[in-house]
Amino acid sequence: MKKCSWLLLLLMTACASWLPVGGSYESPSHHFTVVLPEKWMKLRAEQDLLLSKDGPFLQYVLIQERPIDKPFGHTRKILRRGMLAHEAAQLIVDEISSDRSVYDFRVIQNRPARIHGHNGFELLFTHKNRDGLSFKTRYCGFIAGDWFYAVRYSATERYYFEKDIHTFEDILSSFELRDEQGMMNKDFAKAP
Amino acid sequence: MKHRLIAGMLCTAVALWSSAVSASSPNSFPGSAEEHRLWLRAEEEERIINESGLLYDDPQLEAYLNGVARKLQPPDVLEKLPFQILVLKDPQLNAFAFPNGVIYVHTGILARMENEAQLATLLAHEMTHCTHRHALKAFRMLKDFQPANASEACTQDAPGRSANLQTLLGSTGAMAAITGYTRELETEADTVGFQLVVRAGYDLEEGAKLFVHLKEEIELYQIKEPFVFGTHPKVQERVENCKRFMELCHVKRGSGVKNGEAFLEQVHGVILENAHLELKAGRFQTARKGLEKYLALRPGDSRAYYLLGEICRQQGDRVRAKVMLGKAITLDPSNPDAHKAIGLIYYKGGDMGRARRFFETCLSLSPNLPDRAYIEAYLAECKKE
Repeated sequence: MKKCSWLLLLLMTACASWLPVGGSYESPSHHFTVVLPEKWMKLRAEQDLLLSKDGPFLQYVLIQERPIDKPFGHTRKILRRGMLAHEAAQLIVDEISSDRSVYDFRVIQNRPARIHGHNGFELLFTHKNRDGLSFKTRYCGFIAGDWFYAVRYSATERYYFEKDIHTFEDILSSFELRDEQGMMNKDFAKAP
Repeated sequence: MKHRLIAGMLCTAVALWSSAVSASSPNSFPGSAEEHRLWLRAEEEERIINESGLLYDDPQLEAYLNGVARKLQPPDVLEKLPFQILVLKDPQLNAFAFPNGVIYVHTGILARMENEAQLATLLAHEMTHCTHRHALKAFRMLKDFQPANASEACTQDAPGRSANLQTLLGSTGAMAAITGYTRELETEADTVGFQLVVRAGYDLEEGAKLFVHLKEEIELYQIKEPFVFGTHPKVQERVENCKRFMELCHVKRGSGVKNGEAFLEQVHGVILENAHLELKAGRFQTARKGLEKYLALRPGDSRAYYLLGEICRQQGDRVRAKVMLGKAITLDPSNPDAHKAIGLIYYKGGDMGRARRFFETCLSLSPNLPDRAYIEAYLAECKKE
């Protein structure tokens, strides 16, 4: 959330530029590939992949990868190897709800999910911004090896969330890690 | 040089002791069109905060806090500036006042205080920002800010720019209330606040302890810029200022009211709530300290043992976590969270039989658990064993 606010600030200060996207995309780290929708735009950023069609204040898809031992910004918590997806989801909930720019945060759904063959989680939550505008977010995450991957879609609750949720689902289902062999046995603990 | 400056300011404050009442007896509020606009802005900020879901709703506690605030000001000031004290669910040690007399105190700082004298010191400081029109002064200072400096501030590289923008925005009137004022205004709020505390009969020595709590927090979490009371002067300096003030004014050490028991009775719910927030934020050490403090007040509360168990579980101390969660269940067998947490420990430890029992109890106690799907998946795994 904080990362996104930072990106939005960059956008506002005219330091960022948007590029049209469409088709297959490979992350600069070469860790994952994803199929991006036509007529959407991508923020030129080195690490995270931020996509939007009508502007990030209305809807965006954010794909992030981060080392699991990197502490989060709003809490002092870190992900750990052997964590259950359930525990990681709770950590993400704690992280977002500790963000001081997130108001009226409510988790609607928190459930396990299989993301490209990995044990992960799926959160559905709403929050308001400072101006009282309500947003809805679907947040999917999983750990593979030493990396945590998050693919989320956030949009204004009124109109935009429903409008582009299917596009997000297409993006999510096209998400693939490149080095599967090295990752498959290192994700969230499935069973003890 | 810095110390001489502070000492000089303190001497001035002491010399003006007799004029303290007039200093805190303001003319009407808001006094000018400019100030009126600031109040409107403040009201807008308050509306946002009040609708954020972050307000700690406890009318009895609010009544108590407002009662303490009223003791600190003479009736004529209260008539012109009716203060309102509200509590925000936030574990950081902070409090801030809007120019119209609305003061927000974080659960973090309330939970850390030990008595009413410390609360009075905090409130007196924040009230002084209002009575002495610090928001208006900050706003006027911003207006006098040289455009050349402003443009320089805005042409730094990216990280610098963000910091300078924050400084610039933080200096504007009502917002300065949240981000802190200049060193001079903060020192004035301290010194006038000390006078109010002493005049109301509270033990000012306790006030110094408030700064000590802040110092501990800064050191523990390596905070660079604490919000509370702004960043200037430095916290250690303010502890010294408080002590120096007591010497200069011949305030007897340990004299005055503390009201420890009454205070803790009023804030016990805040201590528990804040420990939960600390746990969420991963501030395990302060969460544990808060819970120990709470358990001294309410020894039989299952919720506190559950949170202690969660701290241990999240830190990987499964043995101690099981003890704490077991206590929580003994004290309140209908606590679903404690059953879930202990079930997770057994599940991860491979003891599927015990895990299953706790998960089943958890679901029977709380059929609409938000994370029910995980528990059902665990139960399915347990049944396979």
